[in-house]
Amino acid sequence: MTARRCFLRAAMAVVTISFGVVGPAHAQGTPRQPDVQHGAVIAAQGTAAGAPACAQCHAFNGGSDGSGAFPRIAGQSTSYLTQQMSDFISGVRTNAIMSPIAKALSPEDIADVAAYYAGINAPFPPLARASAALIQRGEQLAKVGSAAKNVQACDNCHGPGGIGIPPAIPYLAGQYAQYIAFELKMWQRGYRRNSPEVMFMIATKLDDQDIAALAAYYQQVPASDQTTASK
Amino acid sequence: MAQRLKPVDVVTVGVGLTGSLTALELAKTGLKVVGIERGAPRYTVPDFQSPAIHDELRFSIRKGMMQDNVKEAVTFRNTSDQTALPIRRWASFLPGTGLGGSFVHWNGQSFRFQVADFIYKTHIEQRYGKKFLEACGPELTIQDWGVTYAELEPHYDRFEYLCGVSGKAGNINGQIQPGGNPFEAPRTREYPTPPMKEPYFGALFRKGATDLGYHPYPQPSANLSQPYINPEGLTLQQCVFCGFCERYACEHYAKASPQTIILPVLLKNPNYELRTNCQVLQVNLDSTGKKATGVTYVDAAGSEYEQPADLVLITAFPLNNVRMLLLSGIGKPYDPKTGEGVVGRNYTYQTVGGPTVFMDESINVNPFMASGANGTMIDDFGGDNFDHSQLGFIGGQYVGAIMTNGRPIEFHPTPPGTPKWGLGWKQAVARHYNHTVLIQQHGTSTASRLNYLDLDPTYKDAWGQPLLRMTFDFPDNDIRMSQYIADKVVEIGRAMGGKTVVRGGTKRPYSTTVYQSTHNCGGALMGDDPKTSVVNRYLQCWDAPNVFVIGGSAFPQNGSYNYSVTIGALTYWALDAIKNKYLKAPGPLVQA
Repeated sequence: MTARRCFLRAAMAVVTISFGVVGPAHAQGTPRQPDVQHGAVIAAQGTAAGAPACAQCHAFNGGSDGSGAFPRIAGQSTSYLTQQMSDFISGVRTNAIMSPIAKALSPEDIADVAAYYAGINAPFPPLARASAALIQRGEQLAKVGSAAKNVQACDNCHGPGGIGIPPAIPYLAGQYAQYIAFELKMWQRGYRRNSPEVMFMIATKLDDQDIAALAAYYQQVPASDQTTASK
Repeated sequence: MAQRLKPVDVVTVGVGLTGSLTALELAKTGLKVVGIERGAPRYTVPDFQSPAIHDELRFSIRKGMMQDNVKEAVTFRNTSDQTALPIRRWASFLPGTGLGGSFVHWNGQSFRFQVADFIYKTHIEQRYGKKFLEACGPELTIQDWGVTYAELEPHYDRFEYLCGVSGKAGNINGQIQPGGNPFEAPRTREYPTPPMKEPYFGALFRKGATDLGYHPYPQPSANLSQPYINPEGLTLQQCVFCGFCERYACEHYAKASPQTIILPVLLKNPNYELRTNCQVLQVNLDSTGKKATGVTYVDAAGSEYEQPADLVLITAFPLNNVRMLLLSGIGKPYDPKTGEGVVGRNYTYQTVGGPTVFMDESINVNPFMASGANGTMIDDFGGDNFDHSQLGFIGGQYVGAIMTNGRPIEFHPTPPGTPKWGLGWKQAVARHYNHTVLIQQHGTSTASRLNYLDLDPTYKDAWGQPLLRMTFDFPDNDIRMSQYIADKVVEIGRAMGGKTVVRGGTKRPYSTTVYQSTHNCGGALMGDDPKTSVVNRYLQCWDAPNVFVIGGSAFPQNGSYNYSVTIGALTYWALDAIKNKYLKAPGPLVQA
């Protein structure tokens, strides 16, 4: 498993490089390398152009404030974070808070701050656990799917235990339950349209109970991993 | 002593593509249908989910989805003067087992055959003359199918819409369509869904082929480019390019398989009963030997049952269709010495094997982002699309950059001169893994009187019945054809920018130890003449009119293309005759 994961990581790293080498936009000269230090400044202070500091909601370490209103973004891939910002700008993903902030940032700012948060390994805050039954139902959906609903396992794409398959697929492990549930409803209701062929299809097959179960399961994955490791 | 069960209207031997498709159509008419499957039941959820389904060692190397050849192997020899031995490790071809059959682990490459394929002998003799055909090889025994492309077209259409095939039409009602395959047989409408996105290796091939004046087009795929609801009301999802198609089942509901396009509806039909882990031993005949009375099978507990049925459909893998006829004594077995007899005759295969194109390190192919039928192709050398009159062979191959995976155990291309192991090998794999394009040549297999299937005189299966014996080598004609095209394809590899192009092409002898294709054809041919065919044009046995043998076993010889969609079309064609002719007046649909 570990070997395969390493392989995937290595393979994905090649993808990232390849865009730089063969993409027409970078046909001449080397692509711009993101400035992580500048990203950290944006996270802490915002920009002169008016974007507020990311840390106000997402915390300086990307772990966010624990309320679940704001997603954990620490260690999420640069590519995924950049894509979400550009989707907020284009409108295929809409959010009253994030859409104007994304529009206030330059492409270089976005690249820098995405690279900054992608590089952080933030601790997971202690959170209240949902009922064991709900978590178990979520785990079943996440790992096996539902034959009755023709829904495949979330882990197929999001990786074992929802660890993510960067660069394209975000992690869900340790993500706040409230955020996961909210986003699945955004898919259902059409406010989030940046994966119409896959995530929209799946989200519309889930009911509120399924969503609550999945959200509860993925939030507690890192905590349960630590428990297992300490045994 | 077998326990005799309550009679039913229809029994299918095998529940793969043809077994589930026929069962659904006939159960809908009100007939009681029983499907008998030797393997286990299995479903997208829970059986096909990751990470277990991406176990390369289990499924690719140990062939986890294939017929258990400890219990049931095939014996093989190249020529009839050799002694055949059992194939105990599948390599050259991979017959599936379990609910859904081989249509679960296929790659999704979804072609129609061409107009000339169905009238092959007539077409070749008309275009080049009888003497030309004889000069290609006196042993060649090609023949017409007894059904025409025009007759099959509506059934092709129906099957493609059942699967949701993603592609770009090249010929709609005779009008050539830009972007499609100009050599395509005329279709009445577009593919159900648009073609897959072209990967980088496809774009490289497109450029090379275009520069040389060929006609590239996107390969039609049953791993879908977008979500699709089929006419049975079942939803398929979009392929996510995980690179685990052939030898695997799809975890995303994105590949057409019985599990995604037929079974959920069939299994809800009250007229249908599925029995899994049940091995059919034979089709039973009455005292006249001209009428089937049902089948005898053994369940997982070892108990033997007789299932009486009015209509018996043999719907197993093509090789097993032929074996079932031989075990049951239906039809006269083929005798290569006299050329008489039909069952087992004209066993054909597929000529495959193209060049490997090693690119510069600046070209990143990313082979792991793959789907099973996502190639860019040309048909300029397919079938009879080019003039053979000066070439001394018949047949052809499609050519395409089709990279179905970059899986770590199986995919490590290295150029000639690389050490076979050790540091030098590892360095070469690291250097070339992401900078190599595989080009596929995939084409016709010409029938020969020397190639056939019969029962092995020595080796038996776990139930004590003789194994199927395969006697096969490629006719010289097919070697000449493949080698001629191999030269042309090397030019394409160079035009793509290949630094080193390792030439492909098929060689003799045929070996069962290297994967080539699971398109095993023939042995229970369809045709107009009972002397040269086992089933009539409706796939009905000449010798037992209440037995139909459905699948690739009916192909008189193999065309250039992957055969699954043609099997689907033939199944609908046979069903049309069963529903609209046979059920109204049971008996021979064609007088011998």
